[in-house]
Amino acid sequence: MNRTVLLLSLSALQLLAGPPAKPVSDKSLGLSRTSVFDTPAPPLFTDEASGPGEKALPKRINQEYPPVIPHSLVDCIPITRSSNLCMDCHAVPGPKKKGEPTPIPASHFVDLRRAPEAKGAQVAGTRYVCLSCHVPRTDAPPAIGSTYRP
Amino acid sequence: MTLTLTRRTFLKAGFTTAAVGAAGVPLAALPAEAKGWNWERGVCRFCGTGCGIRVASKDGRVVAVKGDLQNPVNRGLLCAKGYACAQILYGQDRLKRPLLRKKDGKFDKQGDFVEVSWQEAFDVMKAQWSKAHKALGPTGVAVMGSGQYTIQEGYAAVKLVKAGWRSNNLDPNARHCMASAVAAFMQTFGIDEPSGCFDDIELTDTVVTWGANMAEMHPMLWARVIDERLRRPGYRIINLTTYANATSEGADVEIVFKPNTDLAIWNYLAREVVKRGAVDQDYVAKHCVFAAGPTDIGFGLREDSLKAYAPEKDTQARQKTVVLTKEEAIARGLDPAARHEKAQTASGSAQRHWLISFEEFQKGLEPYTLDFVATLAKGEPDESLEAFKAKLVQLADEYANPARKQVSFWTMGFNQHTRGTWVNEQAYMLHLLTGKQARPGAGAFSLTGQPSACGTAREVGTFAHRLPADMNVDDAGHRKHSEEIWNLPAKTLNPKIGSHIVQMMRDLEDGKVKWLWVQVTNPFQSSANANHWIEAARKLDNFIVVSDVYPTLSSKVADLILPSAMIYEKWGGYGNAERRTQLWRQVVLPPGEARSDLWQMMEFSKRFSLAEVWGEQPVPGLEAEGYEKGKLPSVLPAAEAKGYKTDSTLYDVLFATAAARKFAWPDPVADRKPNSTVAHAGITWFPEKALFEEYRQFGLGHGHDLAPFDTYFKRDVSGLRWPVVDGKETLWRFNDQYDPYAKKGSGIDFYGTALKKLPTGDLNGPKPGDAVALPGKAKIFFRPWQEPPESPDATYDLWLCTGRVLEHWHSGTMTRRVPQLHAAVPEALLFMHTKDADKRGLKAGDLAWIESRRGKIQARVTLGGRNKVPRGLVYVPWFDEGVFINKITLDATCPISKETDFKKCAVRITKV
Repeated sequence: MNRTVLLLSLSALQLLAGPPAKPVSDKSLGLSRTSVFDTPAPPLFTDEASGPGEKALPKRINQEYPPVIPHSLVDCIPITRSSNLCMDCHAVPGPKKKGEPTPIPASHFVDLRRAPEAKGAQVAGTRYVCLSCHVPRTDAPPAIGSTYRP
Repeated sequence: MTLTLTRRTFLKAGFTTAAVGAAGVPLAALPAEAKGWNWERGVCRFCGTGCGIRVASKDGRVVAVKGDLQNPVNRGLLCAKGYACAQILYGQDRLKRPLLRKKDGKFDKQGDFVEVSWQEAFDVMKAQWSKAHKALGPTGVAVMGSGQYTIQEGYAAVKLVKAGWRSNNLDPNARHCMASAVAAFMQTFGIDEPSGCFDDIELTDTVVTWGANMAEMHPMLWARVIDERLRRPGYRIINLTTYANATSEGADVEIVFKPNTDLAIWNYLAREVVKRGAVDQDYVAKHCVFAAGPTDIGFGLREDSLKAYAPEKDTQARQKTVVLTKEEAIARGLDPAARHEKAQTASGSAQRHWLISFEEFQKGLEPYTLDFVATLAKGEPDESLEAFKAKLVQLADEYANPARKQVSFWTMGFNQHTRGTWVNEQAYMLHLLTGKQARPGAGAFSLTGQPSACGTAREVGTFAHRLPADMNVDDAGHRKHSEEIWNLPAKTLNPKIGSHIVQMMRDLEDGKVKWLWVQVTNPFQSSANANHWIEAARKLDNFIVVSDVYPTLSSKVADLILPSAMIYEKWGGYGNAERRTQLWRQVVLPPGEARSDLWQMMEFSKRFSLAEVWGEQPVPGLEAEGYEKGKLPSVLPAAEAKGYKTDSTLYDVLFATAAARKFAWPDPVADRKPNSTVAHAGITWFPEKALFEEYRQFGLGHGHDLAPFDTYFKRDVSGLRWPVVDGKETLWRFNDQYDPYAKKGSGIDFYGTALKKLPTGDLNGPKPGDAVALPGKAKIFFRPWQEPPESPDATYDLWLCTGRVLEHWHSGTMTRRVPQLHAAVPEALLFMHTKDADKRGLKAGDLAWIESRRGKIQARVTLGGRNKVPRGLVYVPWFDEGVFINKITLDATCPISKETDFKKCAVRITKV
């Protein structure tokens, strides 16, 4: 199923890519390459299942983009008022050591609203909900290619 | 698999503080800023929070973004979507040339898409416009706009459609987003937009979220809320919702209520405030009046559709007549044992209202006792009634406490509601009763979902009934004022309100609209009951143009697709949910032949002569003083008297005016940045600045004052909250310490002027007598709880609620093309309770059919995750065109605001 979707998307891309373009049917446009009248069966994707440290870290998207979470979240969420298991593991001193969790960077200890020059003793409250910025992952391949490069 | 977390510790009391002292990577160890990056200030492309962004570009491409440290909205942080604002420009299928359906070298509705030149695209588009206009007049053409229009684009659209084409068929997707908030602001305060600002988050004692999953939908506001919760003992968060969500995880109290019963909860709270003597008597006496309106107002459904599917007809019948349930009878003070059939006679005049006494108001509240409301509203079947009651009492204790301040935030849970205007007004009801409105840290505060729902859709007025600065097309004075600013002959503007966006879809199905231009939105995916509209678009004789940056579901049903420039590829401005106007410079060039929406409108306007559009025009149903019934008069002689020629184009008259051409390009404010609108148009003036400065004239001196264009580009300015008077922004409107428009010494002055002259009556209706003027007052409405148009029954036995997820924005057009966001949430899942799934033989990952009276689709089941739905309710996000949930949803609207209710309809789920 996944492969079919990918192949279809590549052929549609080729149609759109270089002039002189051939006619394109509406079915082959967009991210779901079906007729708008179809009721497709969505593919099955699986959440990342590996434990912390089991897989190599994915490449950073750019220096500003928060690292994607490489491991399963099953035993880490929810982040609630009384427990934040992300911080429990990642609150280790830097620099990063092999086989150890990625340390929370120093930037996260700065209260940018009230004391932007000073490093605080604890992670800034605005950064408490890790999942606002750090996204988990599944095994889904990209819906379509990207020409972005940092 | 189970994970072993070696360092796990559960901290039972208070927040984990991650007290690791000097831990962490030193700042110096972070990757050094790449060489050759140029940083420019921008605004986030996504939600109504309006986070400030710094945009890095190199060699003509955006390479990264970061949060703007200087911007008080987000102070250097962004959410997972915001950080992707660079990547959204670079999906591989960016549209770069116009695409037209063709067969044998000619436009053909059944043809495939072929690349054409802009020249050919506009030729066909114009010929089709003229065909529709000739057959049907100005109401036969329509434009669907957006709360993602830049301020200048929205303003250009208003001029082109309303002044140029003399049609009021311009309406934004924002109709689906915050029209209920607008209607409630107008009815309550006589002027639109919030009194408070985001500073309230740090100044309040308690944040109450009502139908607002802030943790996922406004993550950077949520970050501020959680930050404050961590810092300040006694700060509290209460989350009212129809299912446990990410916001619940940070809340002190979570109240799960049954869909639609929020109205009953508000009335319980108001009743408590009155009973406990917690009314701020001085505030209410000085600044408020009490009001009521008709109750049998229908549900904004079609009464007359020949194309209704057979199963739809029972729900649609409720538009005409409703038989009250036992609970509704109790809520109205009627005999619950008797049968009460209520003709929905006020469906055409739902917005009407009148003054009532405090005693009448109290009478309306009387049935909403704790016992009645708790039984009605408990939304989690597995929670005990006593536990639920205790939470309602806790909520009442909070609001009734004069020593504590509250901010009540809401988003789509209130606005997308068949009683959306009412429930917005109920929030003001409680805050006004307790004197907690328009004060720092206290107020009812509507959040918006789009980056310029406020700045463009509302302030510019891209609604079918609006003109800029809260003015309306059906007000002769407002039309005259607009005609003066726009230098139009008198009676150019059409006094008949146009079709709202839901009605436009219905008009398309009925053949009343035959030409449609969709800009910066994806309405065929985002409109409820979509099977009707995609069928109308593809199978009827009409012409649909979609301008967008990627192929969307709407472009699949289009006849012509136009490639647009996006965000940092053009000059623009957005206005966020706290009235903050933020402008940005173009950073990079648009790809291929993509053009700014402003360029598209200006170029297209060159193809219209005044002779074609300003002669006499038929407008079915037009009835206004000074107008012949059903007709707009010719204004051509008057136009000639003004110096226009009949062969002048709309471009000459609306855009390239003498005044506009005085704003020369290049301009020092550009700081050597490009302007592709200028380059592609081959002009030497600056349209984005000219339009902004012209638009400003509408608001100056009327409480909507914006600063001059150049001011927003000053280094120390991170947007300004209007009204901006003498260079100073306004944090709390209506409060004489902060708002220069509030009369000094008044304390609070609700100075809005709309709908401020009312007759007096009781809960049942107005009485004969003179209307009373209400200067400086806000209205406290009594609004009853009622049943929704469709509830679960034996056939369709579950509630369906739809919404968003953190990683994707709206229909996913941009975010689904960002690899890591797509990998995080690759498809829309069907969130179900385990017991509901078990009953249907479903387990996590299984394919299920979701079916309503209106259609069926497939989705995969999830039983946990971020939304924990109660038994009897399912949740499906709408971002995924492959899980086209709006084929299922009901196109019922709030009869006052015409905003669709996407939060409740009845479905059945079966295993595939």
